[in-house]
Amino acid sequence: MPGSTSASGAPTEGTADRGHRWRQLHRVAPLLLLALGVVAIIGSRGLGLGELTAPGPGLWPFIVSLLLTGTAAVLVLLDPAEDYEPWTRGTVRIIAGLVSLGVFILLFQAFGFVVSAFLMLVLWLKVFGGESWRLTLVLAASGTTVMYLLFVELLGVPFPDGLVDVIGG
Amino acid sequence: MDSWSGILQGFSVALTPTNLLYVFIGVLIGTVIGVLPGLGPTATIALLLPITYTVEPVTAVILLAGIYYGSMYGGTITSVLLRLPGEAASVVTTFDGYQMAKQGRAGPALGIAAVGSYIGGTVSVLGMILLAPPLAQLAVSFGPPEYVALTVLGILLVTYLGTGSVLKSMSMAALGLLLATIGLDPITGTARFTFGEVALFNGLDFVAVAMGLFGVGEILHSLERTDKVQAVTSKIKNIWPTRKDFRDSSGAIGRGSLLGFAIGVLPGGGGVVSSLASYAMEKRRAKDPSRFGKGAIEGVAGPETANNASSTSAFIPLLTLGIPPNVVLALIFGALLVQDITPGPQLIEQEPEIFWGVIASMVIGNLMLLALNIPLVGIFVQMLRVRAGILAAFALLVTMAGVFSVNNSVFDMWVVLGFGVIGWLMKKTGFEPGPLVLAFVLGSILERAFRQSMLLSGGSFDIFVTRPISGGMFAFMALIIIVSAITSRRRKAVFGRVDPADVDETDEPDRDADRQVSAEGSPGADSTTDEPTGSTSTTPGER
Repeated sequence: MPGSTSASGAPTEGTADRGHRWRQLHRVAPLLLLALGVVAIIGSRGLGLGELTAPGPGLWPFIVSLLLTGTAAVLVLLDPAEDYEPWTRGTVRIIAGLVSLGVFILLFQAFGFVVSAFLMLVLWLKVFGGESWRLTLVLAASGTTVMYLLFVELLGVPFPDGLVDVIGG
Repeated sequence: MDSWSGILQGFSVALTPTNLLYVFIGVLIGTVIGVLPGLGPTATIALLLPITYTVEPVTAVILLAGIYYGSMYGGTITSVLLRLPGEAASVVTTFDGYQMAKQGRAGPALGIAAVGSYIGGTVSVLGMILLAPPLAQLAVSFGPPEYVALTVLGILLVTYLGTGSVLKSMSMAALGLLLATIGLDPITGTARFTFGEVALFNGLDFVAVAMGLFGVGEILHSLERTDKVQAVTSKIKNIWPTRKDFRDSSGAIGRGSLLGFAIGVLPGGGGVVSSLASYAMEKRRAKDPSRFGKGAIEGVAGPETANNASSTSAFIPLLTLGIPPNVVLALIFGALLVQDITPGPQLIEQEPEIFWGVIASMVIGNLMLLALNIPLVGIFVQMLRVRAGILAAFALLVTMAGVFSVNNSVFDMWVVLGFGVIGWLMKKTGFEPGPLVLAFVLGSILERAFRQSMLLSGGSFDIFVTRPISGGMFAFMALIIIVSAITSRRRKAVFGRVDPADVDETDEPDRDADRQVSAEGSPGADSTTDEPTGSTSTTPGER
């Protein structure tokens, strides 16, 4: 695909090059939708369409995925690109943030709420929010406490067992 | 039950200490998040969905409704002072409101917006009391074909009335409908698209999808773009508008109330459309339209009145037909579904305390907002000092903990994260999450109604056009499609002039504003100003 080759030439930031890359990149969204639609069509056929008089489990998904495929196909050709937002340096931070959320879920499962919530608040406040260490620690500690009280004590949510529960017996 | 005893019952529900507290919390949160840019009513309601399951259904709706119309008040403040719409419906207010602030008239702009919002909200509540019971009675006779027509109409209007590309919205609606089919088939029990994952047998959890797309998605998106902190310099004086201000804007408030009410009832209507329509109407009616955009008080009063009126009347289709007319109402619909209450024509009869309780709470909530907004504007402005990074950190943690608490399921946390990524990517590539979520909510209703219709008709599609009400609705949809297809060239010409490559970060509000103005001149906005009066007057008449 031409888009991938031009995307790799990142250091040359000419306006024309940027416009070209941007145009290629935005095509990916409708292409993904198109692929999803086609897969869904095949999947719903596999479920059994039945008859209109006696619709099978696959009939409705089939109709809906036809609609998805149709609109996506038109979009691949005609997508008005002006509502696309350029990738910025902020984008990298967002991706890092998303990864951190994934790590949070894993930590949450392994160590429970208190540890993972505190670490996540520290990370987000310090790294993504750019707050001072003092404010970060104060906010993270008090935030974790308030949330713990709200969810566990007030709402009685059974968070996975964590360090606090283990230490506290 | 007649309306009068209904209202009395409503007040007896809404005036209990718990519900009074929740109205207050709702409108307060609403105002605050309306002020905070980047956290709109949709994201907030999505974030708070899990918390509502611990309270009574009526209390939950009272809280969420309060947030919704409260945010309509709050969004005004940043629009006027910083030309930064706190939520989408306030974009229009930036045109004249910010100009008024520059002329030292921020006080009257905020004052008239609060008064107008109050009047709009109250008019809308009155309209709701009059219109909702007969509409529900009419809807009791609705069969599956009518529900097919109604849901399709709702989805179609949301795709057409959105600000972005119709085609993109439509593909998102299709995606939403497809996602709704995940899980066990409601009739045969076959597992569909579950990939053997037991957690998917009950389908994707609505709360997780909504929280991901709106909560995480929008937080990430706003974090990416609003890095600059803007200081509030001027002190706000003379908030109570002068007699002349009232005289100038009384017409706009009156028209805004009626227009907002009518648009709110329409599927796909709601804040943004109603405020745009009101602004367009005031500008067209004005003797000297050139004053608009330079600090005309009608340009603030009309749209602010209309968006509050519409956010109230939007509850009519939800509570009488069981069809959420916009995304915020779709979230409230989801909140009720999880509480085992299916909003629909029977709601007024079977759960009168919900219907009338919510209406009564709106009367109280609007009064509270008026009382909060006029004297406390200065305090709300201070909220702007809360930095986006801090807000995002806490909002994300609440989201994650909240979604876990719904089903005590870690799987749902991954769903939130997955849809957060999708929501953020959609924002980046110009796909609107609204149609997706609305279609996702309506998907199972639509599928069931469609399959029942097919069984009724013996597999013939005639059933949708031969029955008068569903036939009428499909004819209306055909009309929308034809009209917009004919005029789409004009719309394209308008859009074609905006080249995003030329627009840099600092021009962001301007670019949004330009878009909105161009949308206002487009056929979609025009037809909404004409249609609602027609449709609201015909529906009760058909009885």
